[in-house]
Amino acid sequence: MLLARNLKQIAARSPWLYRINSGSCNGCDVELATTACIPRYDVERLGCQYCGSPRHADIVLITGPLNRRVKNAVLRLWEEIPDPKVTVAVGVCPISGGIFRESYAVCAPVDQYLPIDVNVPGCPPRPQAIIEGVAQAIEIWRTRL
Amino acid sequence: MPTDLLILVSVLIFPGGLFAFSLGLMLKGVDRRVAARLQGRVGPPLLQPAFDLIKLGFKRTMVPDSAAPGVFLAAPLIGTVAMLLAVALVPIAGVYTPDPRLGNLLVLLYLLSVPGVALMLAGSASGSPFGAVGFSREMALMLAYEATIVLVVAAVGLRTGLAEGGVVTFSLAEIVRHQQEHGAYLLDPLMWPALGAFLFFYPANLGIVPFDIPEAETEILEGPLLEYSGPALALFKVMSALKTVVVLSLGIALFCPIAPHGIAGLAVWLASMVVLLAVGISAVRVSIGRMRIDQAFSFFLKWPLLLAAASLTVVVVV
Ligand code: SF4
Repeated sequence: MLLARNLKQIAARSPWLYRINSGSCNGCDVELATTACIPRYDVERLGCQYCGSPRHADIVLITGPLNRRVKNAVLRLWEEIPDPKVTVAVGVCPISGGIFRESYAVCAPVDQYLPIDVNVPGCPPRPQAIIEGVAQAIEIWRTRL
Repeated sequence: MPTDLLILVSVLIFPGGLFAFSLGLMLKGVDRRVAARLQGRVGPPLLQPAFDLIKLGFKRTMVPDSAAPGVFLAAPLIGTVAMLLAVALVPIAGVYTPDPRLGNLLVLLYLLSVPGVALMLAGSASGSPFGAVGFSREMALMLAYEATIVLVVAAVGLRTGLAEGGVVTFSLAEIVRHQQEHGAYLLDPLMWPALGAFLFFYPANLGIVPFDIPEAETEILEGPLLEYSGPALALFKVMSALKTVVVLSLGIALFCPIAPHGIAGLAVWLASMVVLLAVGISAVRVSIGRMRIDQAFSFFLKWPLLLAAASLTVVVVV
């Protein structure tokens, strides 16, 4: 029992991130790339790694207002991610639609369709905010393992 | 039987099995750390690859509907077992000499190509188009680099065999012993072309930049590994960690197996592994980009093959 708990604590130090762009203006995606790639913000310190495949992901970062065209694809993609997973909404778009709200083409807020665990507001959010969101997501993920 | 027991120990505990497993994970950690430092980042903790493995153990393994489940799940196992055997085949100068019954250099060459085959199986059995692209790229790359390593090994074997008064030798133990008595091939100008060819071979075999084309995560989303998750993916990670150990120690055994006996020898061996890794893998990885498959293919059929052929000719003529 104790061993399993300790192993879970260790496992929580390896959260792999996966980005889903659900129709964002790319502003948030650029910030996500910044968070990962620029030496100053290096998320690899936390053990994070961006992975190319949804099957490898632990923490899902969703950007954009979930527009109608990609809605089904995004929902299917989210299903493909093995449990346990944590979902983070990055930017104000997935929260309310942001500058795209009231458009006929968007399905925001995203949490009508997906259980969002952490919201990182901002248009686009600063890398520090994203890192904080990821850190919160790691805490949530730890309890789910 | 004590010798049988010894073989079992060498495959399961030292230098294969447990030892190689932890060493491989450490090397991966060092690689990520050095790469991060070269990019001006802090980088992950040294034990990060171990954390990753433990994490993957807690995740679910999903088998896609379109996959062939048997082959899909067997592929990582085949690759890992082959690498476990391969580690036990490579001598460590002054510390470990493999039992001749385990096999020789030729067996090692075959075992070295098994992970590539396992990846191809994985890619084709996963039923994903990205896996199929990865499969075809892996195959093209293998065709390109196999010829090089065979010629390099032939050159080294021939040089040792001729010097020992016989013909070609494929016993790694003999190659190591010869170099310990007569000086490393690293310092022998005649063997430099072979060394150069080997330096091109190993990034391709290990699948690292610029030759990580079959698993290019930014273009084909890690190709054959795309559909893997949980423990099955962890096995692939173990396989690649073990493979790093095998290929690096093969390089050391072929070209520079000079070390004192006992613990000091092990320390020298470990140090040369880390240096080879930091210079030959991490530094290269962060400073250049990925080649296209056709570029890599024609590159391999030109320069490394030329170097390897040249070294074989030189060895035969001189
Ligand atoms: S929150 Fe702002 S920056 Fe981010 S996707 Fe929406 S509009 Fe673009």
